[in-house]
Amino acid sequence: MTLAIETQSLGYAPGRGFQISNLNMKVPVGSLYGFLGPNGAGKTTTMRLLLGLLPAARGSITVLGEAMPAAHVQVMSRTGYVPERPHIYPTLTVDEALRFHSAFHPRWDQPWAEELRTQFNLVPDRRVGALSKGETGKLMMLLALAQKPDLLMLDEPTDGLDPVVRRDVLEALLSYVSVHQATVVISSHLVHELERICDWIAVMDRGSLVAELPMRQFKDGIKRLSVADAPATLAATPFTILARRPDNGSGEQWLVRGWSSDMQSYFGAPGATLRKIGDLDLEDGFVELLRSFREAK
Amino acid sequence: MSERPTVWRAILESQWKWTRGLALLGALVGFALPLLSLRTALATQSTASFIATMQAWGVGYAIAAAALGLMTAIAAWGYDHRLRHVYALSLPLARWRYVLLRFCAGLVMLALPVVAVFIASEIVAHSSMVPKVLQAYPVALTLRFGFATLVAYSLFFAISSATGRTAGYILGGIALIIVAQVVISSANLQVDLVSRSIDLVFAAPGLLAVFGGRWTLIDV
Repeated sequence: MTLAIETQSLGYAPGRGFQISNLNMKVPVGSLYGFLGPNGAGKTTTMRLLLGLLPAARGSITVLGEAMPAAHVQVMSRTGYVPERPHIYPTLTVDEALRFHSAFHPRWDQPWAEELRTQFNLVPDRRVGALSKGETGKLMMLLALAQKPDLLMLDEPTDGLDPVVRRDVLEALLSYVSVHQATVVISSHLVHELERICDWIAVMDRGSLVAELPMRQFKDGIKRLSVADAPATLAATPFTILARRPDNGSGEQWLVRGWSSDMQSYFGAPGATLRKIGDLDLEDGFVELLRSFREAK
Repeated sequence: MSERPTVWRAILESQWKWTRGLALLGALVGFALPLLSLRTALATQSTASFIATMQAWGVGYAIAAAALGLMTAIAAWGYDHRLRHVYALSLPLARWRYVLLRFCAGLVMLALPVVAVFIASEIVAHSSMVPKVLQAYPVALTLRFGFATLVAYSLFFAISSATGRTAGYILGGIALIIVAQVVISSANLQVDLVSRSIDLVFAAPGLLAVFGGRWTLIDV
């Protein structure tokens, strides 16, 4: 598996109690990598560390085959970045912002930038500072896409946007990715949005990576099991139990991770009965995963 | 939109957008100073008072140079500070190169007031109203004005580009001198720390020595 991003034992401690510790991240080339985590989990900080906008205290970072932050210029010329807050100079007009941005990016595609501007209904002589939140979001995505990057780092790009704008932005993103096979790292609170578009998922909490695996494996492996006659203490299980709860009088409900269908035979040994196997959507899986991670900590 | 500009041109265009008002105001002030100084000096009765009036206006050049340097430096960094430098840092450009380009773009903006001072000084120098016994120094005044503007701009640009902590250290240093002076004075010791500090900075070879001394367009 060729990697677009790889970190080894990455650490960052800005003080005030928060720190990123021992982060080992692997983003495959061409993947749509969803980055999930609650507020303050460290997603934005991690993205900034990866792009060399913050200095790491420990560990190594490789982005697009180059060591960061030493190769900052080379990497940024191939990377489109949409930060969580607007970062374009507010006094420039839309056209001036495009012109300014294009100067720094040798692969800038002007006809496509114009096409996107029209598609996004951005008025060329409107000041960036006077744009609505949705228009600003579209402009930032436009700038990131028209530079034709190999890697897109999108930090909550659709946060606060209405559904119509969100759809426009995601459509433009997916259309670019399908043509150029770019790698996308996208963080979002909107779990269902990531579920729809991502093929890899990473979950972060309190500066640590809780899980990182293909989306299909994540979704297939997380199940809700109805179990009867389960003993209070269990020997080693072939799957990870995230939670055990009473199930309406008889039996228990188990939330498990790492499940596969051949594990049904396990229940015979402890004298338990598996009654039902249910799917969890990504949001439930994400919440349970975080809960078990925090309890373990 | 026209063709993709060069990086230098893009930086220069954004700088022009942010500081054009300041540059044009500076040009207006720079153009007015020599003409106003001549106008008021002409109202005097003697050559000595003519020279004294011209010299009195000299402080105006120093103040204009300092103010222009300060405001242009603040304007050069203003939007990057507001955006926490995220955009500038995410551009595929070495940080030192970005800083250098921003610095040079600010200098280009400052050229306008300097040229205005030169043109107005030349007009005064060639005026038939200047007493024949006196000499005009338009080039010397322009060079001094330009150098003073450069020094002020460079100093404030460096302070602005530094972190808030560095700016705090500088302000803290100044505050420390003032507090020390208050303590020394209350102890009835004959040490003038503030004057010494000012001399150290403003007298040759101090960092801001160019702002001290005589600034005059017309002299003997």
